[in-house]
Amino acid sequence: MTSYALLFTLSAIGISETVYLIRKRLASEKPVCPIGGGCALVLTSKYNKLFVIPNDILGLLFYIMAAFVSAFLVIDVPPIAFWSLIIKLSITFGALLSLFFIYLQWRVIKAWCFWCLMSAFTIFLMGIIIVVSGFI
Amino acid sequence: MKKTSFHFLRVGLAITFLWIGVLIFKNPEAWGGYLQPWAVGLLPITLTQAMIGTAFLDIAIGAFLLFDFLPWLAAFVGAIHILIVLTVSGITDITVRDIGLLVAAIALMIDSLPQGVSKWFVKKQNPETNHAK
Repeated sequence: MTSYALLFTLSAIGISETVYLIRKRLASEKPVCPIGGGCALVLTSKYNKLFVIPNDILGLLFYIMAAFVSAFLVIDVPPIAFWSLIIKLSITFGALLSLFFIYLQWRVIKAWCFWCLMSAFTIFLMGIIIVVSGFI
Repeated sequence: MKKTSFHFLRVGLAITFLWIGVLIFKNPEAWGGYLQPWAVGLLPITLTQAMIGTAFLDIAIGAFLLFDFLPWLAAFVGAIHILIVLTVSGITDITVRDIGLLVAAIALMIDSLPQGVSKWFVKKQNPETNHAK
């Protein structure tokens, strides 16, 4: 259950990050950018959407789904095998997408966004937890 | 309170409420065991039903805090909820940490009170000042 508790906590942190970014975007305000200084540049670039949906909304939906699924796994909501597969697949997909976004910031936009890196780090950490919990 | 510290406290408290809600859903009977017998006797519904209601309340408070939606109201309800928990379960080695959560919820509530509510509270505190105006 420890791994699901950690996944749930990281999902909640991800939700708070993405809600902050969505609020700032809706209010047309620049987010606080403690490290890197390129947040506004990255967040307003042409890569800020995927299939017409803003990345912050996709991130929020991903984290809400991850929080629900990890809660289902803790409460033992059937079918457990299905939820377990869903969380593994979605975190793998999220981690790959985060790698792509890091590449875009590094090579294409040539600016670093603190919040995007935080979100990527959160998803990588979720992936590490899934991998490590498989061995323990 | 500084803006950053407020958000750290808000998200931390939100995760605590959400996680407790999930744990109560997992095993409501076990969590109901913390209630004092006199408190169980006062319940108009079964203990399990009461604990599931508590889980819903915990998750609602946590979600409001996490989404930064009416944080003052969520913190206010959370503080009252923790006060009730302390009353009906008694202060034991385990529940003593609820005192920290209670004070954290009160701090969040005070810091996020809307201006209208704060002004109303100040007026109630200093009625003479208002009459002089």
